[in-house]
Amino acid sequence: MILRNVVIRHGRKAFCAPIQKSFLRSLTTESSPSDTKSLQRPIENHLDETGGMAPEISNVNSGNHRSPSSQPSQSIDKVQANHIYKQHLKKRTNKLGSIVQKHYDPESLVQNPPKPEDITLELLMASQSHLGHSTSLWNPGNQRYIYGIRQGVHIISLEETAAHLRRAAKVVEGVAYHGGLILFVGTRAGQSSCVVKAAQLAKGCHLFERWTPGSITNGDQILSKCDIKVVDKDDNEITRGYEAKIEEWSALKPDLVVCLNPLENYILLHECGLNNIPTIGIIDTDADPTWITYPIPANDDSIRSVQVVAGVLGQAGAEGQRKRLLAARTGTVTWSPPPGLGAPQIDAEATAIAAQPKFAEPQPLQEQIPATNDVRGQNGAEDEL
Amino acid sequence: MGASWLPASLRNTLQCACSPRPMALNRLRIFNTRTRHFSTSPSSRASFAAPEISFGRQREVPQGGRDQAGFQPVDEEERPKFYARLVPSSPSYFTAQPLFTDDLLVLQNLLRRYSTLPVVKPGEQPRMSWRSLTEYRDQVGEAVKSSKYQKIVQILNRLNYIHPSLMPPEVRAAINEYKRDINAFQNIAKVSPVDRLGRTLGAGRRKAATARAWVVEGTGEVLVNGKTLAEAFGRVHDRESVVWALKSTGRIDKYNVWALSMGGGTTGQAEALTLAVGKALMAHEPALKPALRRAGCLTRNPKRVERKKPGHVKARKMPAWVKR
Repeated sequence: MILRNVVIRHGRKAFCAPIQKSFLRSLTTESSPSDTKSLQRPIENHLDETGGMAPEISNVNSGNHRSPSSQPSQSIDKVQANHIYKQHLKKRTNKLGSIVQKHYDPESLVQNPPKPEDITLELLMASQSHLGHSTSLWNPGNQRYIYGIRQGVHIISLEETAAHLRRAAKVVEGVAYHGGLILFVGTRAGQSSCVVKAAQLAKGCHLFERWTPGSITNGDQILSKCDIKVVDKDDNEITRGYEAKIEEWSALKPDLVVCLNPLENYILLHECGLNNIPTIGIIDTDADPTWITYPIPANDDSIRSVQVVAGVLGQAGAEGQRKRLLAARTGTVTWSPPPGLGAPQIDAEATAIAAQPKFAEPQPLQEQIPATNDVRGQNGAEDEL
Repeated sequence: MGASWLPASLRNTLQCACSPRPMALNRLRIFNTRTRHFSTSPSSRASFAAPEISFGRQREVPQGGRDQAGFQPVDEEERPKFYARLVPSSPSYFTAQPLFTDDLLVLQNLLRRYSTLPVVKPGEQPRMSWRSLTEYRDQVGEAVKSSKYQKIVQILNRLNYIHPSLMPPEVRAAINEYKRDINAFQNIAKVSPVDRLGRTLGAGRRKAATARAWVVEGTGEVLVNGKTLAEAFGRVHDRESVVWALKSTGRIDKYNVWALSMGGGTTGQAEALTLAVGKALMAHEPALKPALRRAGCLTRNPKRVERKKPGHVKARKMPAWVKR
């Protein structure tokens, strides 16, 4: 019985079990006498340095090159085809299913910012612009903007916010209409996208990293390497005739500064104050409203609230620019050229070479302007009058 | 492009000459030669405040002697006003680094637009070497900080992960703009071929010595400058250095070495031979490369004699301190 069990148990295993690997290896391994000799030969004092790699080295097949370790997981055609198929599916099935009517899309406030006429208390409330700071942190200067206290937090009156935002939008639009240079500043993390978008809309400048102190009061030093250009009334660049003037022109200053986080940019606002540059800023309940010319009481800690404010001001600037260009096309120029800039100075030969420059002025006028100094003299005379 | 050692004026000229980016003319000014305009003229604010007072027609009195030919005194009213104003070339004007900021914004835009494209697995992307910080600074002419340039490099690395079959042309253009002219990762060391007599040639250097070694399959004979190993090198350590590439790989009785070495001293010559024999051996058996690398037979030792300094006795040694 015991024997039978042994046969039943181990007989099956004996047939099924694979042949042991060591047996297979001993059959197939080729060992050349020189290999073993090199292994056996004592390598005097450097054996330990090679780290016992001599055996594996002697097994290396000298004719073989190493194959690349990683193969591309998917073939190139397959990835491309899959991507195209995915895009196709997405396009076909995009409009299936339910439609969410009102929802918050984080990108939409940056991509399609609201216009000044879109300002509603609902929009401001939805973008959390009513939330102030803890009552213990407040600045009493903001008392008139505060609606009340809820759970120890000041609530900003949204009617005030809307009114001040509309007023600021008017200011931005007016400055853009009169050809002013608007600077949008938002140096907190996450504000860069809306700042850049607002500047792009208003054709102004943006700043989303640290304000270099002195860029206004000491601009000739700090901004000396930054390029400026001359544009005509239709915003077309005038490429010739002003090289000498641009060379010696002092650094530009903004005509309006929109600061989305005044608390961190006191130096900027101070410089604006020294240079009579008006400022627009978001004033939370802990900020000092006297730093700013046109305060907008709102929450400056919420990205969404900041995006609404920046977007509205950017759209207002875009509207002002549009109106300015429209007026310029109909013959009304809404701004006056800076004193001392004058008309482009082109040499007679240069004019002859250029076939028909768009900005070239009538010929007799050029003869009337002998040199730069005389123009300055004339300007001086005007100033005295 | 590495022109940072040049004096400032020359450097700027050089940048304009060799920069791929068109430089504006006024980048040429190095020292600030602008004159300040302190003007209290109300005409700049004419559109905001009350309009300028017109005093009617004022004729300039012609001064007979100084009058130039063709110069006619004209009225302000008659002459058409030329409308021109100054605006920044870039919206990043007030960042004081407009070119860098514009570059960063362009790349961020690209990344935002193409971040949904399929990417390759980590390690499968083409290895890229980007322009160094100094090169980039020379290119834009702005004192860009390293941390700021790292932002650009990060975005480029991410863009480089986009699957090559779906890489948009504009991303490819952006990558090409920041790619170093010579890609170090494409540099493949050339292997000397086995000639018709079965020899391979390797060259090596160490300190002031140079060496060439011809390695041929054989029985382990070594001749250095026509002498046997024991005659050529007195120190046992030096003898071992010469054949270290063969010894560490267990090939000492399979190859013959015929070598020439010149310059430097015995140690330099012996270790230059290590390198030469290692390279020649690798030409015979390319699969030995990792082993030879670990054994130190493929790495050129760049150390040279340190120069003597003034005030020192040798390179580092100071004269002995003497009381008074």
